[in-house]
Amino acid sequence: MDIHSKLQILSGAARYDASCSSSGSRREGSSTGIGNTSSSGICHSWSDDGRCISLFKILLSNDCRYDCAYCVNRSSNEVERASFSVREVVDLTLDFYRRNYIEGLFLSSAVMQSPDHTMERMVSVVETLRREEQFGGYIHLKIIPGSSNELVRKAGLYADRISVNIELPSQASLKRLAPQKQKDGILQPMALIGKEIATNSLERRRTRLAPRFAPAGQSTQMIIGASPESDFQILRLSQGLYKKMNLKRVYYSAYIPVLSDNRLPVLASPPLLREHRLYQADWLLRFYGFSAEEILSDSEPFLDESFDPKTAWALRHPEFFPVEIQSADYGTLLRVPGIGVTSAKRIIAARRFSAITTDGLKKIGVVMKRAKYFIICSGSSWASTGSSPLIIRQLLLNSDGHQPSAPAPSRQMLLPGLHA
Amino acid sequence: MPDSMKRYLYDGSADGLLSAIAWILEDEADPQALMLAKREDTFFEEGFFIATDEARAEAYFSRLKHLAPDAARIIYFFMLSEKEGMETSLLRYCALALRHGDAIKGYLTHPAVNDIIGTSRKASRELHRMEGLLRFEKLRDGAYLARMEPDHNIIQPLAWHFSRRLRAQHWFLYDLKRSTAAQWSQGKLRFGTIEQFTAPALSDDEKAVQALWQAFFKTIAIPDRKNPRLQKSNMPMKYWKYLTEKQGE
Repeated sequence: MDIHSKLQILSGAARYDASCSSSGSRREGSSTGIGNTSSSGICHSWSDDGRCISLFKILLSNDCRYDCAYCVNRSSNEVERASFSVREVVDLTLDFYRRNYIEGLFLSSAVMQSPDHTMERMVSVVETLRREEQFGGYIHLKIIPGSSNELVRKAGLYADRISVNIELPSQASLKRLAPQKQKDGILQPMALIGKEIATNSLERRRTRLAPRFAPAGQSTQMIIGASPESDFQILRLSQGLYKKMNLKRVYYSAYIPVLSDNRLPVLASPPLLREHRLYQADWLLRFYGFSAEEILSDSEPFLDESFDPKTAWALRHPEFFPVEIQSADYGTLLRVPGIGVTSAKRIIAARRFSAITTDGLKKIGVVMKRAKYFIICSGSSWASTGSSPLIIRQLLLNSDGHQPSAPAPSRQMLLPGLHA
Repeated sequence: MPDSMKRYLYDGSADGLLSAIAWILEDEADPQALMLAKREDTFFEEGFFIATDEARAEAYFSRLKHLAPDAARIIYFFMLSEKEGMETSLLRYCALALRHGDAIKGYLTHPAVNDIIGTSRKASRELHRMEGLLRFEKLRDGAYLARMEPDHNIIQPLAWHFSRRLRAQHWFLYDLKRSTAAQWSQGKLRFGTIEQFTAPALSDDEKAVQALWQAFFKTIAIPDRKNPRLQKSNMPMKYWKYLTEKQGE
């Protein structure tokens, strides 16, 4: 098979991986080699679905011996199979990098003969890139569940970021939809990576000469809407992963039906709005000081489709508002709808010079059409500030302060068998 | 503006602007109450002309870099924006930067600070964007060439970026809008202007590599999530002209 056809098959099979981040690592290039990394990450293009292309995202092979219900590459699916040689991936990466198409490589693979056999070949690609070609660009390497500790450690020494996909939000769903994957096979390497990263950062503090282990950290991905878990269960899982496993990112991927299977739900369209709301809630966990239990509860386990999760929280907590712009601390400002991390920091910086006016708030970048219901500025307020949540809810829904950018809602239709 | 406001003029060059600012800040007690503009050479133009003094401009900028490195960086990107008519804002910004140091970047509620930082941010944002969107083509002699037409004059910081990244490669950046070029060869970076340009021949394998990238670009998108509006808002069409993946679509 020629390289062109292989590339088409193996990039098409890789497109459902959500992550394309190239941030969090800083490496100077060698004078004879090629490539460095930028700590803020760089996007090189945007594909027709509007997602950023930063890395050359590719599978080493789609020839899978597993039969996971949701996956296009499952062994019982009749698709054309292809595998790259180590050299082919190395050359493509270098050719693309030299022309500034990409920031680096994101290599994943179907499970060929065994997890270890597959992982060994993947590690061999990055080893060749780093050692023979002195490649200093970004590398994200997927860990195949069930591969040996030794290979996981080796992967971490060459890659900037490594990730193990958790696939589904609960063990029951994993058993049902990906019977050959074991929960332990996924969590065990995650824990190992977390431990190695922690030890490594201690070593690096002692001596800068210590080799780096996955400097851009560890991430994971789960499929949303292929199984019956609630948003509350999902957010609590993410919260645990951030806190206990020290993950950098959890990615959510709206389930897109690629195959029909009686274990899978029938969807009118992929649950994109749900995915969008989960990402917003995830942001609240990581940067806004919210806990999963503040965002959702057992009695209200799904995110509101009409409002972003922070506005939904604000509407449930009228006692917290209005917030005085001139004196509120950072954590309090962050809880105001329409004020983000950047504008909260700017408010605090600008207050040192003079009191902030309404006009100043706009200049700073506060989204006034949402914030005005929840703030006061030097004691003075807007007509509707402090109205009852019910009224604010209506006003927000009617005004253009309502975020229109979210994808159209899609109701999920569940097959009767799924909850059994 | 009040008629009584004192008005200064400079010759329109970057050095002229910085030396005028340096001169005013040393000699005037209240720079917030002054105006600074480019000399238009009309007969009735009013104002005091300040002659360009390169040494003074340089001395002033290095003092600012020392006192307030972030503020100096903001001014650097402001100058790359090539925006005219904002000299008075820049003068006021500089006066505040000398007084408050780097903390000035937080004073976004001040009109002059907001003007300068906003304009500067546009230039640095385009630099970051071009770090991703610039495309090199391999030439027959083994060198690489990238063409671009950016809104801001960012060739210098862009070349610095690639001099750290593609160190073992011989390459050129060419800004067609300004007829300027940067060359990196054997560890040395040079800048110059281009009078006449004839497109050099491409290397034999170049079209094949481009075709592979175009194929990748097409298949990596998820068909069920097609979203051309989002694509265009992230990657405005004005940059498509030199994008390999957007050729022949």
